[in-house]
Amino acid sequence: MSDDTPKESQTHEPQPPAEAPAEAKQPRPPDQAQAPAPGAEAPAPAAPPARPPEGRPHGGRPPDGRPREGRPGEGRGGESRGPREGGREGGKRGRRGFFRKKKVCRFCVDRVDYIDYKKPEQLMTFIQERGKIMPRRITGTCSRHQRWLAEAIKRARNIALMPFGGAR
Amino acid sequence: MEERLYDLIFICRPATPEEEIDKVIAILENTVAERGGKVDKKEKWGARKMAYRVMRHREGYYVLMVIRTAQSDTVHELERRLKVNDAVIKYMTVRLDEDMKRQKRLQQRRERKAARRPRGQRPGHAHPAPEQPAAAVQQQ
Repeated sequence: MSDDTPKESQTHEPQPPAEAPAEAKQPRPPDQAQAPAPGAEAPAPAAPPARPPEGRPHGGRPPDGRPREGRPGEGRGGESRGPREGGREGGKRGRRGFFRKKKVCRFCVDRVDYIDYKKPEQLMTFIQERGKIMPRRITGTCSRHQRWLAEAIKRARNIALMPFGGAR
Repeated sequence: MEERLYDLIFICRPATPEEEIDKVIAILENTVAERGGKVDKKEKWGARKMAYRVMRHREGYYVLMVIRTAQSDTVHELERRLKVNDAVIKYMTVRLDEDMKRQKRLQQRRERKAARRPRGQRPGHAHPAPEQPAAAVQQQ
């Protein structure tokens, strides 16, 4: 997760120059556009160009990533590719003003050092109806905690604290 | 061999009388003691619903024992005894010392970080402080 934030900022930085200069050049040279304080219309161009570049270049991907979010673990194939990208941009506003909250690992928030397999009530929130372990891309769990979580769930299954399949 | 920590969980038939279960526990305790181990914890969870059917039972009487032993054959012997016992329908032994070691290590690291932070550059900020340890933990 700590990786994500720098990367996002990197992906966004190159983009504004791509379109921002195009619009910004008309009112004034680019180096002056950087200091828009004096100009009254400067804030206006500065703000709108910032939105579209975010939305459009990403446009190809998030629409893929977003619906997937909605249906947990349904299809296969293409799904394996999309969510990775979706996760990367997950923290930011995608196109059309969708706002997706940045997913945070619940275990990291609580500073969990060990996930106990003897507490099935807690683990139950991380399995699907049919007993599958929820994928990371849905729950937002970090990779490390997902590993521990998976292990805990598997242990709990072994001793009949949690189901293997959905039906009892 | 250094000492190892195990969780031993077993499930008895729900209809087993309490004395019988106590007997099983006593047998296991003896086995552990014979081999120079220790029983750290004994917990009877009582009858609870199982997530799936085991030997046609939907409920089971859960017992948890936390065992500390340095002899490797202890677990073998414990499992053998559980297997032989008719009242026991399921059992599981999990080695825990390595998980515990990891947990301790992480905790210590966090404490060290927490101790160091007040000297850091940003005093008075309630915000950056809680974020730091989380990010640092993920990096390793």
